[in-house]
Amino acid sequence: MTTAGGLWLHAVMRDPDPARLTGLTGVGGGALRAIAAAGLTAVVCPVDLAEFGAEPLRGNLEDIGWVEAVARTHHHVAVELSQLGPVVPARLATIYLSDESVVGLLTRGRTGIDAALTRVSGRIEWGVKAYTSSAPRPTPAVAGSGPGTGADYLRRKRAALSARSEAATAAAACAEELHRALAEVAEASRRHPPQSRGLNPRAASMVLNGSYLVDAARGDRFAETVAELASGYGAIEVELTGPWLPYSFAIVPVEETPDG
Amino acid sequence: MADSLALTPIALVDLLDRVLATGVVISGEIVLSIADVDLVYVSLRALLSSVSSVRAVTPQPFAPQPFDPVGPA
Amino acid sequence: MTGRVEVDRDGVEKGLASLVLTIVELLRQLMERQALRRVDQGDLTDEQVDRIGTTLMALEEQMNRLREHFGLSPEDLNLDLGPLGTLLPPA
Repeated sequence: MTTAGGLWLHAVMRDPDPARLTGLTGVGGGALRAIAAAGLTAVVCPVDLAEFGAEPLRGNLEDIGWVEAVARTHHHVAVELSQLGPVVPARLATIYLSDESVVGLLTRGRTGIDAALTRVSGRIEWGVKAYTSSAPRPTPAVAGSGPGTGADYLRRKRAALSARSEAATAAAACAEELHRALAEVAEASRRHPPQSRGLNPRAASMVLNGSYLVDAARGDRFAETVAELASGYGAIEVELTGPWLPYSFAIVPVEETPDG
Repeated sequence: MADSLALTPIALVDLLDRVLATGVVISGEIVLSIADVDLVYVSLRALLSSVSSVRAVTPQPFAPQPFDPVGPA
Repeated sequence: MTGRVEVDRDGVEKGLASLVLTIVELLRQLMERQALRRVDQGDLTDEQVDRIGTTLMALEEQMNRLREHFGLSPEDLNLDLGPLGTLLPPA
């Protein structure tokens, strides 16, 4: 069946009870629907191509308010679905034009998706971010006048410059140690690219943006471990986010096809 | 655990780290030309690098590029 | 309505001042680093080192006065270059 609209792909699961999908709505307000193939189930919802077609999407993706609303709905659906079983979410704004194309995806990507489902089953993700400590550095004393103050000024400036670079180096070293220690106790770890300063004003001083896959039952213990380790590093400030659906470990590259 | 997943307040920047670059990453019939969209500085570039690394992982059948005089890599 | 226009004009003036002063501040910081490198070469007399230092100190004081005259904080003197970060290092 080909519809005039598009299909927003929310996530892929194994075998959710279709009755549990009724009443749930997805991005754009449409009702969630299951498309099954190759032993997997894609959860989609209908979207209007006037808003989600290639051209309008370009414009909408420039609107951070639109992106936020859509991202949070996408995430909310993924969390709802995770109550029905392991979930591999789709990347934001993955849109198909027909059921057949979705079936094609499930068939082409079955092995990778299946592996990802197994990988994330019964697990959660913790996010750990670290920043160079913003503790204030000692300010230079008020300058006097008289012989030697010029040289004093230069000494203060030199000290301030090296203090700043030492702080950055120390922070980077602590971040590496922290990441290694956490990676060792997690099932898997992944580091994200730097965040955007437009969205996070502190991004310039970020030295770690990591995700750690952990068995759900051990989730709290991992969080405690982060707090324990963080307290030992004076050069960095550590921020824990989560627990997350294991997004960062549900990455499934699937070949594109010329005809979808 | 599902409860805590649902109730934890989530910063948009942390959410975008995850939903823009993870999950089932394919080209549907609507190719995500997010590369052409100046969304928000570095987070877009993060998406670009994750897309390009995805392509590196999934070898594409050779397709001659219009501006490549050298031929197949 | 008049009040709103005045606020906007203040904003424009402040914006221009912060832009200009940011560039001046960038040059001042670059000069300071150059001076430090020159002094580190070790071949200057104590008097020369002292003169360089007091000149830079006076420049810094002037910069602070200018900045305060426009009601700008040190953090206001910076340019956001997007993916390239900020023009000046964080304070």
